[in-house]
This record gives sequence, C-alpha cells and structure tokens, in this order.
Amino acid sequence: MSALLSERRCVSIVILLLIVGLVLSTFGLQFADLGGAFSPMFFPRIVLGMLLVLAALNLVLDATTPSPDNPIQLRPVLLIGVSLMAYVLLLVPLGYFISSVMLGIVVLLALGLRQPLQIMLIPVVAAGAIVVLFNHVMKMPLPTSPFTWWI
Amino acid sequence: MKPILKTVLVALTLSVGSATAQEFPQRPVNLVAPFNAGGGTDLLLRAFAPHFAEALGGDAYVSNMAGGSGTVGAAALSGQKPDGHQLGYWSVTVSTIQPQIKDVPYGLESWTPICSVAASPTVLFTQADSPYQTIEDVVAAAGEKPGKLLYGSSGPGAITHLTAVSAFAGLGIIDQMRHLPFQGSGPALQAMAAGTIQFFGDTELLMTRGDFRPLIVFNKERLASMPDVPTAAEVGIAPPLNELYLWGGLFAPAGLEPEVTQALSDACETAIASDGFQKFASETSTVLDFRNATDFDAFYRSQYESNARLIDAAGL
Amino acid sequence: MIQSIPEALNLILTVEGLLVLSIGTMLGIILGALPGIGSTVAVAMILPFTLTMSQAPAILLLLAIYAGSVYGGSISAILINTPGTPQSAATCLDGYPMAQRGEAGQALGWATVASVIGGMTSAIVLILAAPQLAAFALNFGPIETFALILLGLTCIVSVSEGSLLKGLIAGFLGIFLSTVGGDPITGEARFTFGQFQLIAGFNLLAVVIGVFALSEVLTRAASLSQDEQSLIEFNGMVLPRLSQWKGRLRGLFKSVVIGNGIGILPGTGAATAAFISYAEARRSAPTRSNFGKGEPDGLIASESANNAVTGGALVPTMALGIPGDAITAVMLATLTLHGVTPGVRLMTDNPVLMAAIFSGFFVINIMLLPLGMLVSRLAAPILRIREAYMLVMICLLCTVGVYFVRGNPFDLLVMAIAGIIGFILRRHGYPMAPLVIGMVLGPTLEISLRQGLIITDGSFAAFFVGHPIAVVLVLAAIGMLCLPLLRALKHR
Repeated sequence: MSALLSERRCVSIVILLLIVGLVLSTFGLQFADLGGAFSPMFFPRIVLGMLLVLAALNLVLDATTPSPDNPIQLRPVLLIGVSLMAYVLLLVPLGYFISSVMLGIVVLLALGLRQPLQIMLIPVVAAGAIVVLFNHVMKMPLPTSPFTWWI
Repeated sequence: MKPILKTVLVALTLSVGSATAQEFPQRPVNLVAPFNAGGGTDLLLRAFAPHFAEALGGDAYVSNMAGGSGTVGAAALSGQKPDGHQLGYWSVTVSTIQPQIKDVPYGLESWTPICSVAASPTVLFTQADSPYQTIEDVVAAAGEKPGKLLYGSSGPGAITHLTAVSAFAGLGIIDQMRHLPFQGSGPALQAMAAGTIQFFGDTELLMTRGDFRPLIVFNKERLASMPDVPTAAEVGIAPPLNELYLWGGLFAPAGLEPEVTQALSDACETAIASDGFQKFASETSTVLDFRNATDFDAFYRSQYESNARLIDAAGL
Repeated sequence: MIQSIPEALNLILTVEGLLVLSIGTMLGIILGALPGIGSTVAVAMILPFTLTMSQAPAILLLLAIYAGSVYGGSISAILINTPGTPQSAATCLDGYPMAQRGEAGQALGWATVASVIGGMTSAIVLILAAPQLAAFALNFGPIETFALILLGLTCIVSVSEGSLLKGLIAGFLGIFLSTVGGDPITGEARFTFGQFQLIAGFNLLAVVIGVFALSEVLTRAASLSQDEQSLIEFNGMVLPRLSQWKGRLRGLFKSVVIGNGIGILPGTGAATAAFISYAEARRSAPTRSNFGKGEPDGLIASESANNAVTGGALVPTMALGIPGDAITAVMLATLTLHGVTPGVRLMTDNPVLMAAIFSGFFVINIMLLPLGMLVSRLAAPILRIREAYMLVMICLLCTVGVYFVRGNPFDLLVMAIAGIIGFILRRHGYPMAPLVIGMVLGPTLEISLRQGLIITDGSFAAFFVGHPIAVVLVLAAIGMLCLPLLRALKHR
C-alpha cells in the first residue's frame, strides 16, 4: 500500500464521507412539520453535527501523522468474514444446524486445521448439542431446515 | 448410514406432501408473540399454548419476534406459507393501527383471522390525588390554561396513546392538550405519580396497580368494577371514538384452507373454555372474548375501518 | 418490614425454600453465562414452571434466576470477551485483558466477590428503605434523567484508550445508531432508507456481540499462530486475598452507591450503572492508569454496580408497583398470577411475603459465591479446548444469543456486519467501548432531552430553573470532563 493512502487514512475518509452523506440525508427526508424538539431530526442533527466536526479533525490528524504498520493475515480474515455473512443469510433458509456445520467447517479450515475428522466432528457435535438443547429440551426453537422440523 | 438416509428421505416426503385438514397438524404449531418474552401478550400466549395444543391434538409452542411495536413479527409471518402451522397473536394496534401509520409490508388483506381471544375496554385515568374529579373538570381546566395539561403514553401509536386521543379528540380539546410519550408504561406511570403528566389511558387492569382515578370508560355500557364512571357516549363523545378495546386474537397468513381455519377456530374455542385458561384469565383480570373465524373476520374489518378515524385524530 | 423478617425466614429456611434458591441461582448463572440469553429471556423461560408453585417460592425462583443471570454474564465476558448480557459489557474492558494475561481465575474471583457485595448491600437497602427511596425516585423527571445521562456520557472520555478523538467518534456513532428506527416522540421512521427491518432499529445486543465477540474472532484469525494452545489459561476461580483489597474499598463503596441509585430510577438499568460506575472509578481510582489493561478495580466497579442494580430495580417495583424494566415487569406479572396485587399497598398488605422476598434476595446473593465457583470449575475443562474450536463455539453461541433476543433474523445480519466493521475499526485505533456506551445511553438521552423541551415549551435554559438535582448533575459532568484536562496540564 502506498504511504499516501494507507489503510488507516482510507478508513477515516470513509467515515467522513459516510457522515456527510447522513447529514445530507436529514434534509431530504419528509416529516410532519412540528418544529423544535418535536421534529424527529432534532436530535440526530445535533449528533451528526458533532460527528462531522470530529471526523474532519480525525482525518486531518491521520493525514498528518504517520500510519502505524499493523500486519494482518488476510486469507483467514477474508474467509471467515465472508462465511459469517453467508452464514447469517443462510441461517433461516437452511436452518440452524446445517448452516452452523457449514460455517464451523469453513472457520476451522481457515484457521489452518487439516484433519478431516476434527473438522467434521467439532461443528456437528457443537451445533447438534445446541439444537437438541434449545429445540427439543427447552422448546425455544431455532430456525429449522426445510427438510424436517426436528433439526 | 442407510437408516439415517431413509429417515431423511421419509421426512423429506412428509414435509413436501401437502397439508389436508385430515392430517392437520402435522408438526408443532408455532404461535408468534410479536413482543418481548415476559410482556403481557407473551404471558397470555404462553398460558394459552398448552390448552390450544391439547384441543388441537398436537403440539404448540410460543416464539417471540419483537420490534417495531409488533410489526416485525407480523411482517415476518405475513410472508409465510398459509399451512396453519404458523400463527400470530396480534393486538388491535399490530393488526389495525400500525399498518395504517407505518410503511409495513402487510395490510388488511394479509391475514386469515382465526379467533379473537381477549378484549378489554380502555379507561382514561388520572392520579387519585389530582384535582380533576370528573371529565367536566378536565374540559374546564383545558379551556382555562391551554397547553398546560399533558397526557402520557407508552409510545406513539400505542393503545395508551389512542385512549387519550379518543377522549380528548372526542371532547374537542385535543388542541389544548400536549402529548408526552414514554418508553413503556412504567416510566409513564412514574411520571404521573410525580405530576409531570396528568392523564394516562389503559385498560381497567391498571386500577389494581395503584391509586388512580378513572374518568371515562370506552365501552358500550358502564363497567361492573367501576359503576360510577361514565361511558364515553354519556360524556358526549361521538362514534366511532366512543368505544376502544384492547383486543387480540390469532391470525394466520391469508389464504388458509377453510377446513384448517375451522379446525383452528374450534381448538381456540375449546382452549379458551378450558379450566386452566379460565383460571389464568381470572387471576390476571383478562377479559376473555371469543369470536369464531367468521365473526372475528367481520369484527377485524370493521375495526380496521373505524380506527382510521382515530389515527387521523391522533395526527399519526 | 424488619419485624416481619423472623416469620419470613421460617418461610425461606426450609428444605424447599433453600432448594428453590440454590437451583434457581445455579440455573441463572448458567443461562446468564450463555452469550445472549440474558436476564429477560432467562426469567421468561423459567416463568411457566413457577405457575404451579406457591407464592413465595415462585417469586424467589425468579429472583434467583435474575440475580444469577446478571452475575453469570460476567463469566463469559471475562473468559471469552463475549458479554452474556449488555450489562456485562463494561466487565469485558478489564476482565478479558486479565484473562489474556493468564489471570482468568483471579479476574473471576474479583468479579464474583464484587457481585456478591453489590447484590448483598442492595438487598439490605431494599429491606431498610424501599418506600423512602421509591418516593425520592419520583423527583427524577425527564430533566433530571437527562442530566444524569449526560454525566454518564462523560465516561466515553475515560474509556477512550489511545485516541480521545477516535473514542469520541465511536461514542457519537453509537448514539447515532440508537436513533435509527421509529422516533420515540412521533413514531415516524428515521434513517431507514425504505428498509422495513430498520423501523425497529439496531438491536443493542446484536451490535454488542458483533463488536466485542465476533470482531475478536476475526482479530484472532488475523494474527493466528499455528500452535494448539487454548484461548486462555483457566483452571477455576481464585478468590482475592483480604490483603489485596487494600486501597480498593473506597471504589467498591462508590460503585455500590452508584448501582443502587441508578437501579431505583426508572428506565435506566444495569448497563448504564456499570458504565457510569466504571467511568467514575477510572477517574478517581489510584490505579486509573492501568484501566483497560486488566485492572481489578475496573472489574470491581462494573460488577458491584450492575449487581447492586438488581436490588435497586426492585425498589419502585415493590414499593410503587411500577416496574423499572422488562425483568421487574415479569416479576410483577408473576405476583399477579399468584393472586397478589402489585401496587402501592403491596408492602403494607403482604408484609411477610415481602420480607420473605427481600431476605430471600439476600440469601441468593450469598449463594452466588459457592455456586459461581462451582460453575466456573465445571466450565474450566470446556475452555481448555484448543483456540480454533473455541472460536467456532463463540460464533455458534453468539448466533443463538442474538436470535433469541427477539427472534429476528435481521439482527443476525446486524451482528455479522457489526463484527466485520468492528474488526476494521479496532484495527485502526477506534475503541469499541464508547460505541456501546453511546448505544446504551443514546435512547434515554434523546427522549429525556425532548420530553424536557416539550415540558418547558422548548426552552433549554428552563432546564436549570427549579431543578437543583439536574444542576448538580450537570456541574458534575462538566467537572468530569475538565478534571482529566487539568490533570494533564499539571503534568506538563
């Protein structure tokens, strides 16, 4: 990464842009015109105004100080991050057990485990125990799969 | 491996096979409570579920899906397959008020009403030591010092809000009053005890909770528990604002087969009549009010219409 | 109240009574330790079983679950940086660093003793002065509440390790996140951008678990070494020695007072109390420079305060019949189910039952110590599994917890996104505690400010006329902000 656009500076730019966007959005929304404290935008505007000032200062600070170097193992982070997103989206359509086992396998692979037995066994046992406990013992069901109602 | 595979296959075919009234229910029936565990709706539904399951000859469980004044749970259920295994317990606000004030993905036609379970008339209260003995005192005071009297609520659009709106809009003094919403009834009642707000609307159940003075009853006739309190019609509140009930009942997604609807409605009637549920109702002062699927459908539709007027008055 | 205690003790100190109390406390600790189950869900889960019991045991069982779960939340906060309940979020701040340093046993010991002391004192306060305190709490209108929350927000400054600027950004982002969804005054949807799901807002626990627990999983993955070590070293609880308490009693006393005080007020709760108490300790404790790096004083501050809230919250519930939060509302419902009418006459009409409840509450808090040791001993072998397995378990449990908060799959998405964004922000020096504080305090700050303005016809200056409590609190908040600055200037 180039020194000018370090990761840290990118983050502070994104934060500033996000807040600018939110501030602008408060003027586009239509609300019943009651004015003052009755307006739904009264409080958020104060908060966003503070944030705007802080984020601008932050960008100046990050741009003028050298960014620290923090190394990262990108592969496992990306793998786990993406699989977490997929997991929460698939949890309802596939049910808790199936999606949890899949997540567990991906996480263990991403963390560098290679023994097939360990990789299969741990997610199945962990997710299975949770499903039995909540769905069948406590009768507080987690999402079930489209195939049967009991798992 | 073989037997497991076989079980999976059998289960698969079972779930794919279509539901007919004869084999209903095929699996546990899910009752969705659109509020947090431990609230009034949740308690009622949890007491109801075992009796309902028994009457249905199957299993039933309660799941909570809270948020957005109950609309999150209702929105989720409205998209489900209408097979009778997914029901929701919606109150008057969830089913008839919220869809008319918020941009929610469900509306009047999203449901197959099953049965009504409970309905309590609402009452407008003030603190027991307040100077307002009758509603006439309130009208006079509001005229003398407009903008000084406050009514509280447990949140905008809640039944507590609408009760006060019915009263003050019906009496024509709503512009002289101000609304102060709270996050839940607890903080609002504490504010009334402290004198920050003067009025709060709720069901008669509130009477048992502390020293309050009822002013108006939003019912057809006077209540047996408070015979001296006038009805809204008696103090000159015109229909449709003169009656307001906190009711709740079971709904299924629209398009449920008539046989299944009938089976569920019958089970509901048996469950409500059961000794266990009757005992629960008397201990919690819940006013039970059973309507079968046909009657409840008509009631629900007329409520949807008349509450549109109330929403207008509340400025929501 | 006090004269009914001997009779009440006859009710509690029976085989059935003690059995109910110990089983309830044990269950509460376990449920509280499971991330996300939380006090409300735990109490609601047990409620159906109490319907067949008689009055006093039923209420005592629920109280035991309540107190146990508030304490139990600290176990997972310390051991796996995953607060079981939002009120344990402040416990993560010093508890987890201690555990990482290999002092998990000691951290749990401090947390346990602090919880027991916090809970016991609140039980005594409840027995001695419930009606008087409830009457005092009525002085807290919206304006006073606003001032109190302002004071609480100053703790963002003290928990912003590293960069104050980035801490403030995180704090205000937290407040902003709390404004998304239905407006508390008009009910209109804000910042939902046409997404229906956002009408209900961002769930606090989903964000808390995302930024603390899931971001920790990602951080671990980013710096993973290939060894087979377990996440932390833990062989069971180690209680602090008496000599180690030297110099910490003042802080403990303060935290207990803060916890009791905040518990009595409506609509604030244990998470607020834990953070305010933590901030106060961080401002005034002699060990303040070690806070955030694993300082027992930080643990003492948050744990003694959040357990003291349990007793405090019962004050308005029992004395006025007004529940302060969802859990005490369940307690009131249970009383109703057993034919006892909650309300202002509750204590005068049922003195023995009330004395039994209050003294039972005291006994529960004593039991936290041995039962907490037992649970942590049982948990030790589970925690000794290798780190990769533990990370999988954390992901699966977080999902269960967030799902059960309100059964909304959208919250799971919020949790995952919060985890990923939290990871990126943490990497770049934005502390996550201020974000959580902002989200906890934001809603109360907003509604109390706007309610106050409605009452005063839009005049902010009128907040300080005839509201002496508010003036004192605001002055204290200004003091809290200026003191660190003055101290820094002095050092120059």
